[in-house]
Amino acid sequence: MAASTSAPAIARPRAIGWARLPAWLRYTVIAALLVVVWHLYAVHKGPLVMATPWQSVQALWDGWRDGNLAHATWTTLRLLFEGIAIGIVVAAVLVAFATLSKFGEDLLAFLTAVLNPLPGVAILPLAMLIFGLNETALRFVLANATIWPLAIAVSTGFKTTNQTLVAVGRNIGLRRVRIITDILAPAALPYAVAGLKTAWAFGWRTIIAAELVFGVAGAKGGLGNYINDARLNLLPPKMFAALLVIAVLGVVFEALFGLLERRTVVRWGMKTS
Amino acid sequence: MSEQIAERSSAVGNAVVSVDRVRLGYWVGRDFHTAVADASFDVRPRERMILIGPSGCGKSTLLKAIAGFVAPVEGTIAVAGRRTLEPGPDRAVVFQEFDQLLPWRTVLDNVAYPLRVNGRSRRDAAAAAREYLELTNLGRAADRYPHQLSGGMKQRVAIARALALQPTVLLMDEPFGALDAITRQRLQVELNRIVAQTDVTLLFVTHSIEEALVLGDRIVVLGNAPSTVLEVVDVRDLGGPESVEYSQMRGRLRGLLAVDQEEEEVEDHGGLD
Repeated sequence: MAASTSAPAIARPRAIGWARLPAWLRYTVIAALLVVVWHLYAVHKGPLVMATPWQSVQALWDGWRDGNLAHATWTTLRLLFEGIAIGIVVAAVLVAFATLSKFGEDLLAFLTAVLNPLPGVAILPLAMLIFGLNETALRFVLANATIWPLAIAVSTGFKTTNQTLVAVGRNIGLRRVRIITDILAPAALPYAVAGLKTAWAFGWRTIIAAELVFGVAGAKGGLGNYINDARLNLLPPKMFAALLVIAVLGVVFEALFGLLERRTVVRWGMKTS
Repeated sequence: MSEQIAERSSAVGNAVVSVDRVRLGYWVGRDFHTAVADASFDVRPRERMILIGPSGCGKSTLLKAIAGFVAPVEGTIAVAGRRTLEPGPDRAVVFQEFDQLLPWRTVLDNVAYPLRVNGRSRRDAAAAAREYLELTNLGRAADRYPHQLSGGMKQRVAIARALALQPTVLLMDEPFGALDAITRQRLQVELNRIVAQTDVTLLFVTHSIEEALVLGDRIVVLGNAPSTVLEVVDVRDLGGPESVEYSQMRGRLRGLLAVDQEEEEVEDHGGLD
């Protein structure tokens, strides 16, 4: 009866079996199960269609050592960062303009309504016609994919900023532009980070898709292109190696955003973790 | 009324705040609602002036007009002889809301940052901020973020921030209105001490007669909206709450405000405007 005396007033149902295992072990078991299923399916389908987990890891190692996979990853990430950087600048200018003038507000509302629902890759053919088969076309598509989710998030953040904070800003002597940079922008940071997450997710999907299309069109470079090459050359292990890189990068960036939030908005009590 | 006119003519030369035949209101759609029909009074140097009136009488709007957030429809407001148009740190405001502190800045930085905005060097601002945090008994909370503070502490930081700006007049808009009764009383005592130590001129809005009597040198009593100044009373030499003069004055103010005792009790325990 020792257990009943130490039980809390509202007892949680006693964990049994699976739930009693530590988290890391539960996820490791799930991962191991998936690897086994993957392996069996790969053996069943044959080496021209599916790579086994082991072959994929080997291809990942080889690709990283001969530099091709690393180079492709770097190309994709560099373009993604450039595109998102352009997106951040344009979104910031648009939202600032929207805050300072009614015309800017209407313009932003109209543009986001029309352009945000458009899937990023949809304007790739247009970008290829305007800019040619080059990185500028990709940057354009990426910027377009990131501007709108960012602009919507930040402008929502501006609009929902506590008016008392704006009044405090004016009271201590801040004027229009500095109200934006010193009060509205930090106050909207929880929204901005959420917008950045969305922008990153949109951009990430867009660039891989765009590189796949570019691969078909004959231009070289990037992870999407790496995957497409592997398919053309009937090398499934290379394909899976690139997919692994994409998945791992996705997890890493999620973690980085989590870290950014803990260091800023969570620390300041503006968002609960 | 005659008393009020006498006050005005005697204080014309050296008034810190001079409110002259001011009419104020706000727009609801296309209709203009007059809150303050006609208000005139002066605040003299180092005086603790209380603005009291029933809910909706426009006392907060009047304070906002002096702060520069609202323009009077008629009449003039002058601070230190200057007709004020824009909000500025010479009329530092302590608001009622707890979230008037910038959540992304530490307590110290919340006090120091407005000083930097107004041209003080980083070191100078930090030193002055520490000094005012000591004055409000917040020295040990300097490195905390606002969300780690209680409501009473937040209001004390706001008071320190406003005082550090060394305003011509310190404007307080029901700063203790959202606090519990005990904290409220403690902060009233503390404010009296701080005001005495800093020689600041104070204009304090409240709807609590008790608070007005504890804090004020003089009290401007506004009537129901559209309001006029019913009376300006001097409460400097009343003696403590046990004295006959005190209870007479309280009775007189209650009569002016047409509040029955029960309602006043409720309001004294943290009712909102």
